[in-house]
Amino acid sequence: MTTTMMKTTARIVVPIILVVALSLLLQGHNLPGGGFIGGVLTTVALALIYVAHGLDYLESGVLDREVESGAGIFQHRTVLAYRKTFVFGLAVVAGSGVAGVSFEEPFLTQAFVIVEDVPIYHEIELTSALVFDVGVYCVVVGGLLTILSVVGGE
Amino acid sequence: MTEQFVVAPLVVALLGVVLTLVLRRRPLVQRAASLGGTVAYAAAVGLLAWRVVLAPDAPGAAAYQLGGWPAPFGITLVADALSAFMLVIAAAVGLAAVAASIRVVDRANQRVFYHPLFHGLLVGVTGSFLTGDLFNLFVWFEVMLLVSYVFVAFYGGPEHTAAAFRYLVLNVFGSAVFLLAVGGLYATVGTLNMADMVRRLSDPVAYGIDPAPVGGLTALLIGTFALKAGLVPFQFWVPGAYRAAPLPVAAMLAGVTKKVGMYAIVRLFFTVFGNAEAGVDLPWIPGASPLALLAPLLLAMGIASILVGGFGAVGGDTVDELLAYSSIGQVGFIAIPVAVAAATTSASLRRFGILAALVYALHHALAKTLLFLSAATIQGATGTNRLADLGGLAGRSPPLAGAFLVGSLSLIGVPPLTGFFGKLFVFEASIRRVVTTPGAGGMAGLAVLFLGALLTIAYTTRAWLGGFWGQAPPAVERARIDPAQVAVLVALSAVVVGVGLGFDPVYRFADAAATAAVDGSAYVETVDPAGGDPV
Repeated sequence: MTTTMMKTTARIVVPIILVVALSLLLQGHNLPGGGFIGGVLTTVALALIYVAHGLDYLESGVLDREVESGAGIFQHRTVLAYRKTFVFGLAVVAGSGVAGVSFEEPFLTQAFVIVEDVPIYHEIELTSALVFDVGVYCVVVGGLLTILSVVGGE
Repeated sequence: MTEQFVVAPLVVALLGVVLTLVLRRRPLVQRAASLGGTVAYAAAVGLLAWRVVLAPDAPGAAAYQLGGWPAPFGITLVADALSAFMLVIAAAVGLAAVAASIRVVDRANQRVFYHPLFHGLLVGVTGSFLTGDLFNLFVWFEVMLLVSYVFVAFYGGPEHTAAAFRYLVLNVFGSAVFLLAVGGLYATVGTLNMADMVRRLSDPVAYGIDPAPVGGLTALLIGTFALKAGLVPFQFWVPGAYRAAPLPVAAMLAGVTKKVGMYAIVRLFFTVFGNAEAGVDLPWIPGASPLALLAPLLLAMGIASILVGGFGAVGGDTVDELLAYSSIGQVGFIAIPVAVAAATTSASLRRFGILAALVYALHHALAKTLLFLSAATIQGATGTNRLADLGGLAGRSPPLAGAFLVGSLSLIGVPPLTGFFGKLFVFEASIRRVVTTPGAGGMAGLAVLFLGALLTIAYTTRAWLGGFWGQAPPAVERARIDPAQVAVLVALSAVVVGVGLGFDPVYRFADAAATAAVDGSAYVETVDPAGGDPV
């Protein structure tokens, strides 16, 4: 599938997908969106890169690092990074749930604070639910991309 | 002050997943963390049981609104005596299984996410027992199933993959039916908070509920829960899945995951639909209500399970196959008293039927875990589980033989072991039913219970004769039996004996659990779902 047409499409579409994914993640507290759907969209963007350029592109093309050949897909540096992302996300999710408990509130209780007089944005709503969403986002991105690259590698 | 101890077992199990994932590069620390996490889980469950039921000034039940959202809107966790009783079973089996896994499952395989998955299984089980929301129950079922799929496929051979695929397809279908029923109930009842459902179903006219679809949808639920419990005719996934999974996990699947299906039946049909009317007259079922519908179905499934499981176990070639079939039969022993409780109109017999089922569930969880872990030790020491290739283990390792004997005798129901009280109550419930309302169904149930008890004696004797007596073949002569595994087995048999000897507090705990199971109004009072009413 590494045709010029595919590569050009990926070049245009991937940044758009990533921005949309990020905005969905950030607005998820009060509007449609959230960590899961943001994570799935991000995975789609990276999957497009894989389809267009192959598994090693993120290492060699983007990060400009050597790719060791011969090692199994589970030892692939990108896959290791994905697995770390998954674990990190799970820890963030659990931690954000427990955070409420330490304030003697029920598990998973969330809070928000509205910061006013911010230049350009005027006011920003800072929510603790965003931490939870970021955790979910990491779990989804890490988990789905691990599956995708391992299955794709075989 | 919110009652944090209600959520504690769930959080501890979740943190166990995270911790064992983080530590997976240090296998030794990971194993220690896994064991420590399970000990902490057991402590959290013990605290919950103490604060809710066992302490002198215990309230008997506690509700916990996740995220601080009030009852019918948010997800409620409810810890009452029934949940606490089931959690204690899960903690006991989980602790024994993890302790055994560390020695039984080989090191390389333990590194492959074994411990995080095990804690994931605990998370799913805990959530299922605690939740007070029907949709949330579905979610916890899925958590439990996702982990079970991986465990069944764990060893990755062709037969494991085949078993996992069958298990997967069957349960995806079951989950779809469950989801359909949940959606339908939401459409008809207008809520999925269990306490709120009790409240609305007790006065269907005021809330505009049509009772007829409720009756039909509950029948769908019976099917899904029977599938999870592995009752005949949904039993065919059981032997393959249990034989494919690592044996400590098979202990967990047989001891705890199956009980989740039975728990869901008891919780929903007795606590939630206990007073509901089905509103449809079926020609062969008197007094149309979900409970009246449940009674004959569960009785028939229980009878069939005892027969299929018993005869299957008598014909089993390997210890684990025998135990897998045996667990089908034993779930039948749990189903029949529940069916008795569903059929009767007497409040005391209804409570007693549930009590019998709970005591039997506790007994089966302990005894079957003991037997599965013994099978794992035998497999590890001799490299085989085939009865034809075994023999003379009693001479090689008397403690191992003693543990297996205790498990078998408890399964048969010899006093003073836990199984004696289980069998006693199951028979008593069944006989009380036959005495008060003589009928063909009750008689058939009683007869099959007798037959099932005989079959249990037959297949445990067969396992004993094949595995422990007689000439030791070369595989047994060469066997190196791991003392640490035997120590776990001896500790677990001490629990089986101890629960039987000191049965009085267990009885009171189970009695409180049975009372909680049949008392829908106390459940509503605990949760207090009044927020959903239009003012």
